Amino acid sequence: MFKKILIANRGDIAVRIMRTCREMGIETVAVYSKADAEAAHVLEADEAVLLGESEPLKSYLNIDRIVDSAEKANAEAIHPGYGFLAENPDFAARCETSGITFIGPSSRVIRDLGNKTVARTMMEKAGVPVIPGMLTATKDASSLCNEAERMGYPVLVKAASGGGGKGMRVVSGKEEMEEACLSAMSEAEKAFGDGSLYLEKCLESPRHVEFQILADQHGNAVHLFERECSIQRRHQKIIEETPSPAMTPSLRNAMGDAAVSVALASGYTNAGTVEFLLDLSGRFYFLEVNTRLQVEHPVTEMTTGIDIVRKQLEIAAGNPLTLKQEDIIQTGHAIECRIYAEDPEANFFPSPGTILVHREPSGPGVRNDCGVHEGFEVPMEYDPILSKLIVTAGTREAARMRMVRALESYVILGIRTTIPFLIDVIKSLEFAKGETCTDFIARHFENWSQNMAGADLARIAYVVDELTAVKRPAAATKEKGWPTPWETLGEWRI
Amino acid sequence: MKYRLKISEETAALDVSVSAGKQNAEFTIGEKAYSVRYRTIPDHCLHMIVDGKGVNAFVADGGEGKHVFLKGKSFLVRDADQLSSRRAKRRGPDQTPGDVTPPMPSVVVRIMVEEGDLVKKGQGLIVVTAMKMETTLVAPSDGRVKKINTSIDAKVAPGNILVEVEEEENE
Repeated sequence: MFKKILIANRGDIAVRIMRTCREMGIETVAVYSKADAEAAHVLEADEAVLLGESEPLKSYLNIDRIVDSAEKANAEAIHPGYGFLAENPDFAARCETSGITFIGPSSRVIRDLGNKTVARTMMEKAGVPVIPGMLTATKDASSLCNEAERMGYPVLVKAASGGGGKGMRVVSGKEEMEEACLSAMSEAEKAFGDGSLYLEKCLESPRHVEFQILADQHGNAVHLFERECSIQRRHQKIIEETPSPAMTPSLRNAMGDAAVSVALASGYTNAGTVEFLLDLSGRFYFLEVNTRLQVEHPVTEMTTGIDIVRKQLEIAAGNPLTLKQEDIIQTGHAIECRIYAEDPEANFFPSPGTILVHREPSGPGVRNDCGVHEGFEVPMEYDPILSKLIVTAGTREAARMRMVRALESYVILGIRTTIPFLIDVIKSLEFAKGETCTDFIARHFENWSQNMAGADLARIAYVVDELTAVKRPAAATKEKGWPTPWETLGEWRI
Repeated sequence: MKYRLKISEETAALDVSVSAGKQNAEFTIGEKAYSVRYRTIPDHCLHMIVDGKGVNAFVADGGEGKHVFLKGKSFLVRDADQLSSRRAKRRGPDQTPGDVTPPMPSVVVRIMVEEGDLVKKGQGLIVVTAMKMETTLVAPSDGRVKKINTSIDAKVAPGNILVEVEEEENE
C-alpha cells in the first residue's frame, strides 16, 4: 500500500479522501490556491503545497505544478477527486509517464469513455442498450437538422466531449434547431475545445439511474447497486438516493449486469459509475460512464458498508478485489442532499461570501461530508458545493423524515444556501411518493420561494438579539475595577 | 419599545415590553401576541421559549441587517427605519436607475458594449462569472451607455457600478 498520496482537489471531496487515508495510515499532501490558504482540506492534510493564484488554470488545473508537487513531496500516487482534472486523460497520462500512480482508470480508458460517441459505439457492440441517436459527431448544423427531422422531435443536442450540461440543448421543434446547434457548438468549443455535436432521442420524463462499479487490474468487476439521481437543476444533480424507488429485483439484475459488461468492454479499472436513463415503461438506456468517484458515492457506502475510497486505493495499489458479487448486500435506504452556496430564490445564483455561523447536524444515521468551516470565505472561483449531507435509515420514508430533521438543524449563516429549498423538495408529496424524474424541479418547483411561516419568530429573534447583544461588547472589553477617566469624562470632541 | 422590521419586502411593526432585569418579554406583532422567555447560548444561539414552546434561533450580524436561522430557513431581518434613513443618505445626485451592478461577487469576463452605444432594455451589457456560472447583466432601460467603469478580469461586487446607462430623452 502507498505510504503517501497527493490529493489534487479541494473542499468536501479532498477532506473525505483524507479521512480514509488517515484510517489506512497513509500520509496526505494537500494542494491549494491562494484563496484556499485556510480551507478545510488544507487544515486536514499532513502537508500542504501552494499551487498558485486562485484561478483554476493557475492552481487546481495546473498539471505541471501538481505533478511537480507530488514528486517533491515523494507522494507515490495522486487522487484526483471529482471535477477539475479527474476526467482529464492528459493528466492521467502525465502521471503514468512520471511514474506516479493515478488513482483511477488508465488514460486510454478515460479518453475512450470521455468521447460520448466512441463510448456509445463501444456499448452497442457489447450489447448494452443505448439511447437511439447518432454514433458520429459533426460540426455541420444542417446535417444535424436533417438527422433531427429523421429521428423526430423532441431531440437532445449534446457535445461529443461534453459533461455537466454544457453544450446540451433540448430542442422541441424544427424552428429552434439551427439556433440551438450554433449556440451549443460555441459553448462546447469554449468549455471543452471541441465543438462537435451529436443527437439523441429525447426521452419523456426519464429517471436518472446509475450503477457504481469496481474493477481491479486482474479482470474482476462487480457493481454496488444503483443510485437514483433524478432530482436535478441545470442538468446537475442535487438529491440522490439508493435504492431507486423505481427498481425491481429483475430490473436491478439486468442493469447491474449491463454495468459490469460496460466495465469489462472498456477495460475499466478502479471505481466508476455507469449512468443510465430509465423510461416510463421500464426500459433502460446507457447514458455515459463517469470515470471517477462520484459526488453521490456516500449513499452507496452507507447502504453497503463498503468504503469506496479505500477500494480505490487498494485497486490502484494493484490488490485484487476480494469482493464477490454475491457477497455485496444492500441494507436500508440512504439519501444525499448537496448543499450549495446558491440562492434558490434567484434562479440558483452562486452566493460566495463569508460563513458567519456553521453548525453541522448530527445524531443517528447522519453523515456530513463538508468542505467548509465557520469564518471561511467561500471563494467565487470554484464550484459552489459546500457539503454533502447523507442520511441512512431502515426505510425510504424513515430516511426522508431523517433528512428533513438533519436539514432543519443545519445552520449556515452569512451566505445563501439551497437548504430551505431542499427541505421543501424532500417534504413534498411527489418526492414522498418516489415520483422522481429529471424534470422534477422544472415541473414542481419552478419559481420557488421560501414561505414566510416563521417570519414572526425571526423578527422576535432579531429583537431578542438586540436586547441581549448590548451586554456582549461590554462583557468582552470592559475590565473589572475602577472606571477610567475616559469612561467618566462624558461627551468630548477633539 | 417599538420596532419596524423588514423581511424581503414585508415590513411588520412590533410592540415589545421587556420585564426589567428578567429574561422575558411580551411581543405584539399585528394582531398576534407572543410571550417570550429567552437566554443566549454563546456565541450565536438564542434559546427562546415562545408561548411555552422551545425554539432555537441562530443570529449573526450581516452588513444590511441580521441573518436569522430558524429550522432550516434563513431570514435576513432589517430595521425598516434605519433602512429608509440610510437609503436617503446614500442616494446621491449621480446615482440613477440606469446603473448596472453585479448580483454577487464575481469576475468580469466579457464587455459587450462601448461608451456611447445605444442599447435597448434587456440587452446584454456585461458578462460576469462566479463559481463556474456565467451571468449576463442587462440594460435596465433603453438608453445610451454613458460610462463603463470596469475592465475584463476585474473583480467586482454588488454595489460597484459597472455600467451607467443614461435614458435618452425625446425618443
